[in-house]
Amino acid sequence: MLKTEGLTAYYDNIPALKGISINVPKGQVVTIIGANGAGKSTLLKAISGLIKSLEGRIIYKEKNIAGLLSNQIVGLGISQVPEGRQLFSHLTVQDNINLGAYLKFKRRYRHEIDERIKEVFGMFPILEKRSEQIAGTLSGGEQQMLAIARALMGRPKLLLLDEPSMGLAPLIVKEIFEVIERLNQSGTTILLVEQNARAALKTADYAYVLETGELVLEGSAKDLSGNIKVKEAYLGG
Amino acid sequence: MPMEKITFANQLLQYLITGLTVGSTYAMVAIGFNIIYNVTEIINLAQGEFVMLGGLVMVFLHVAAGLPIVLAFPLTVIIVTLVGMLLDRLAIRPIRQPSVLTLIIATIAASIIIKGIAMFIWGKDPFDLPAFSGRHPIHFLGAVIQPQYFWIIGFLIVIVIFLTLFFEKTIIGKAMSACADNPGAASLVGINVKRMILLSFALSAAIGAVAGITITPISLMEYDRGAMLAIKGFGAVVLGGLGSFPGAILGGLILGTIESFGAGLIHSGYKDAFALIVLLGALFLRPSGLLGSIEVSKFKRF
Repeated sequence: MLKTEGLTAYYDNIPALKGISINVPKGQVVTIIGANGAGKSTLLKAISGLIKSLEGRIIYKEKNIAGLLSNQIVGLGISQVPEGRQLFSHLTVQDNINLGAYLKFKRRYRHEIDERIKEVFGMFPILEKRSEQIAGTLSGGEQQMLAIARALMGRPKLLLLDEPSMGLAPLIVKEIFEVIERLNQSGTTILLVEQNARAALKTADYAYVLETGELVLEGSAKDLSGNIKVKEAYLGG
Repeated sequence: MPMEKITFANQLLQYLITGLTVGSTYAMVAIGFNIIYNVTEIINLAQGEFVMLGGLVMVFLHVAAGLPIVLAFPLTVIIVTLVGMLLDRLAIRPIRQPSVLTLIIATIAASIIIKGIAMFIWGKDPFDLPAFSGRHPIHFLGAVIQPQYFWIIGFLIVIVIFLTLFFEKTIIGKAMSACADNPGAASLVGINVKRMILLSFALSAAIGAVAGITITPISLMEYDRGAMLAIKGFGAVVLGGLGSFPGAILGGLILGTIESFGAGLIHSGYKDAFALIVLLGALFLRPSGLLGSIEVSKFKRF
């Protein structure tokens, strides 16, 4: 569904990614693990069109989408749940969810939006209870759910998740990963970036290990969980 | 009509009414500042030029070209709105690696250019515009009210209602707030942030034009009025709290009233000084403004 070919991304002329080639097949959960600063988030940002200085190609459904604007890429069915939630924190929960369907509002798909809102509230009942609350006042876990809900409003075919477990209590992390599994079962392809390698490998089908902007390992999630190097570096021995 | 004795109380009422009227204009300018600020964090110092252009374009269309008010008014608003959009396209968007400060400086440059062009077109003399419904003043408790005052205050009310509905009820309005809140996330949900910035310039130019059109019958208009109006509007913004719409209205009305009382009771020569004193006072004593939140202002760069 999504492929990158020799993707190099620059921050102020310094390459943060060096020739990355990954493959995300349809219907799978692919994860990218690695330490802080390895370039994981950069990769997601590059796919979403948030990074302008790119070399290489990003192939989505047989088309090169590198160089498209981020608001165009969303329209193709790729939604990102960014690192640190990035909610519209001064707006209400309901506004955040509505804005997730911004492109559909523009095309006046009112009916579809209402249906989608129902689905999302069904998935996260707590958000419905808090729908009139200002997003910035939610708890960390609720904010993460809202960020996912907002991304789902665009009905993505490919969901990019950036560190969804960051700063959350273990119980909430478990809940978030259950949501990810459910989304995948309902047909959404998922590219997951995580520092919590243990949880990520448990959920994923395939995994890549990123170190200082380069891919150092790849394999099925099962194989990597058993890999001695991965165990030492990312799973705490 | 028998001569009435003008008492001190009558006079105070007169100052208050004049102050609120002028204050309404400042409030409109302040709202214009806030719309752009809320989306971009830019203080658009060319905001006053929109007001000046509103007045002068209206004079040209209505007085010189003889179009009726109902036609000249919307046409003026459209022309000034286009100038606002050009400002974004020509002065703001082309800047490479923009920082908020360079963008603000660009708006200063733009305001000087607009002023220069206006001087070329209209010369240096002030122009008058007929009042919308005549100049027969209404006497009220010894104070004199020009009918135009009602137009100014009325338009402020219309603008406030329109903007409230726009930002609260429409998805485009919400999208604009979203850009202000988190531009990166806004583009991730498919909002074209650049177009929202363009829209913010268009909206605030339109509101500036309305301010200029409505104030010109009272205070005339000439090419170099923009800078002072921008300063007063900015004073209103700071007084009310940067980014807050209720603050802009409150700040504008208070500023207009202070100015009017100051000019009447102290000295009319210091009229323009009061706005600056209020601006400095607000910055020293309460930089977050009357209605701005201190919490939020900690995160602001300007």
